[in-house]
Amino acid sequence: MIEIRGVAKSFAAPAPPRRVAWARTRGETRLAAGAAVDAAAAHPDAGAIANARANAKAGAGAGANARANAGATDGRRLRLHAVRDVSLDAPDGRITGLLGPNGAGKTTTLRMLAALIAPDAGTLRVDGIDVAARPREVLARTGFLSDSRGLYPRLTARENIVYYGALHGMEREAADARAQDLARMFDMTALLDRRAAGFSQGERMKTALARALVHDPANIVLDEPTNGLDVLATRALRDSLRWLRTPEGGSKCIVFSTHIMQEVERLCDSVVVVARGRTVATGTVGDLLATTGESDFEEAFVKLAFGPERALGHDERLHRTEPDDGNEQRVDPRRDSGGAR
Amino acid sequence: MRRSLAAVIVVLRKELSDALRDRRTLATVVVSSVLMGPLVLLAISGLVASLESRAEQREVYVAGLVNAPTLRNFLERQTYVVKEAPADFEARLRRSTFSDPVVVVPADFEAALVRGDSPVVEIVSDSANQRSEASTSRIERLLGGFSRERALLSLALRGVSAQLLEPMQIEDRDLASTQTRATRITGMLPYFVMMAVLYGALNAALDTTAGERERGSLEPLLMNPAERWALVAGKWGAVACVSMLIAVLSCLSFLPGQWVLRSDTLAAMFQYGPREAALFIVILLPLAAALAAVLMAVAIRCRTFKEAQASSTVVVLAVSLLPLVNVFDLGGEAPWHLWAPALAQNTLMTRVLKGEALGAEQIVIPLVVCVALTALGVWYVARELQRAAVK
Repeated sequence: MIEIRGVAKSFAAPAPPRRVAWARTRGETRLAAGAAVDAAAAHPDAGAIANARANAKAGAGAGANARANAGATDGRRLRLHAVRDVSLDAPDGRITGLLGPNGAGKTTTLRMLAALIAPDAGTLRVDGIDVAARPREVLARTGFLSDSRGLYPRLTARENIVYYGALHGMEREAADARAQDLARMFDMTALLDRRAAGFSQGERMKTALARALVHDPANIVLDEPTNGLDVLATRALRDSLRWLRTPEGGSKCIVFSTHIMQEVERLCDSVVVVARGRTVATGTVGDLLATTGESDFEEAFVKLAFGPERALGHDERLHRTEPDDGNEQRVDPRRDSGGAR
Repeated sequence: MRRSLAAVIVVLRKELSDALRDRRTLATVVVSSVLMGPLVLLAISGLVASLESRAEQREVYVAGLVNAPTLRNFLERQTYVVKEAPADFEARLRRSTFSDPVVVVPADFEAALVRGDSPVVEIVSDSANQRSEASTSRIERLLGGFSRERALLSLALRGVSAQLLEPMQIEDRDLASTQTRATRITGMLPYFVMMAVLYGALNAALDTTAGERERGSLEPLLMNPAERWALVAGKWGAVACVSMLIAVLSCLSFLPGQWVLRSDTLAAMFQYGPREAALFIVILLPLAAALAAVLMAVAIRCRTFKEAQASSTVVVLAVSLLPLVNVFDLGGEAPWHLWAPALAQNTLMTRVLKGEALGAEQIVIPLVVCVALTALGVWYVARELQRAAVK
């Protein structure tokens, strides 16, 4: 069981390179330079980085826009709000979809759940255990498939899986037996004793998934697991997840982040829609269709995530603006074309 | 705590087998670092042997031999074989195809000698041609002997004591022991051994930190319930083990190297037995541990292996340049040398080769420095690990 209550996280945004400091007036130069000093400050959300860069560049290039954004600076530092207010309830024996556009804050939220980053506000609990207070216990009862899912290329798939089992405190034999079971479940027995170096995307994915589940966790958190998988592999994954949800499979609590609507429609018992760092809707697919008054889930999602004006009929506008990134400081590119030089 | 120790061992085992499976890198390190020392030793011994054999050959090349029967007589009395120099000796000396200096005797040598006109005899060599340069002083001494003999004969004919020519006598007394003298040649061995340790640690250190980030395997690794410090300690242990393995291999590689020494003199001077090898290993192990930690600390900040290689150049440079303080003998041995990593180890290993005893202070200070560096490096990596994973 996973509960997330009103978490928020902001980062110092990376600033543009120094050369953009060729602003006309002194005030503008100082602001641009201040942003550049913070360039070293890093933060974890790749999608947000790009947007923050665009922001900072626009801010430095056009003095007026930068000053308009002054509220967004914290001292001289640009703040990037990756997650503002996300809440989620994922009960056992259910698949909960975390649906949101790129840069909505899904990965950041899941990283907070894995205790990799500390939230600025809000609480995260797994089986009633507070992540901030007892992170190791949370990690022990959760299987995370993170955004980055690198394997050790010189180890075999089996060794990759058993290594994680051992890190979870399992005996080598037990971990090995479990690797065998998982391999059967994900149809990868033939892979087990091959080195990971030559694996295809799908094979890597399966190994990473087996690795995340080696300790038979009660909670399973998957960050965009179908990325890069072909149809058959995606179907196999869906079947496995459905089975894990059943009492025979262990009635796991499964949280599944994705930006693909079809995945959610086919698989999830309930959906949490996240946009611009906030939870904007929660319910079953049917609930969400009913709330928005749409018959097509994609339309319903666009309405929920981007607001009604960006749904069908506003296609032109959708194409001209960048995808939303959960960052309200974003400067409209059309406005700064005059100021940038 | 017991769980954490178990995690250290799990990580250590995995990282070790991972590093040892990187056969190509290991082979490169072994060939370039471990075999390099003995090969250089072999080359030096070859050079010394050729110099020795040249000295034993007792040959002298003279251009215009027919002009100087007296000189020839003298040289042959010194049991030298006198040979006529080839006509194009100058060109051949320049091209380094001829390796002996040539004595050029003028046409009127004998007549001038009789008249007491002190004829000019040239010793032609090319200082860019090292092999010919080496025997020049020998020829100089030989010709000096001829001059002295002539002078003594003339004085004796006039009834003057030969002692007048030498109002004082000069004698050499060299304080250096055979071993000390040998370090002039074998002094570079510690340097090679240290490079082996450095390159042994380098790849493994970069692979377990920056490499892990580049592969995207650090973030999932941190989603395990193991303590951060346990993960880092395991990684460090593996890197230090690889580096120590290379250190031991490299120290032992000089043992057989000794048997193949072609120069008897060098073999006699180069005292490197099991005792010296053991001392080398004792000196190097803490350095291997410290280098592993420092390299990891440098690399954890880098996103890619390539970036880490660029950053680690600073460490590589420091370890390669510090011992040069010894090699160039800048101001002799100073107390601070013991506090500088790499330099301290170089100093100590040189002492071992010289056959000098090592005091407790000399063992303890570098050890303390290495332990402190190790602790600092491991602490820093553990601190940065989480930040690095999500960057």
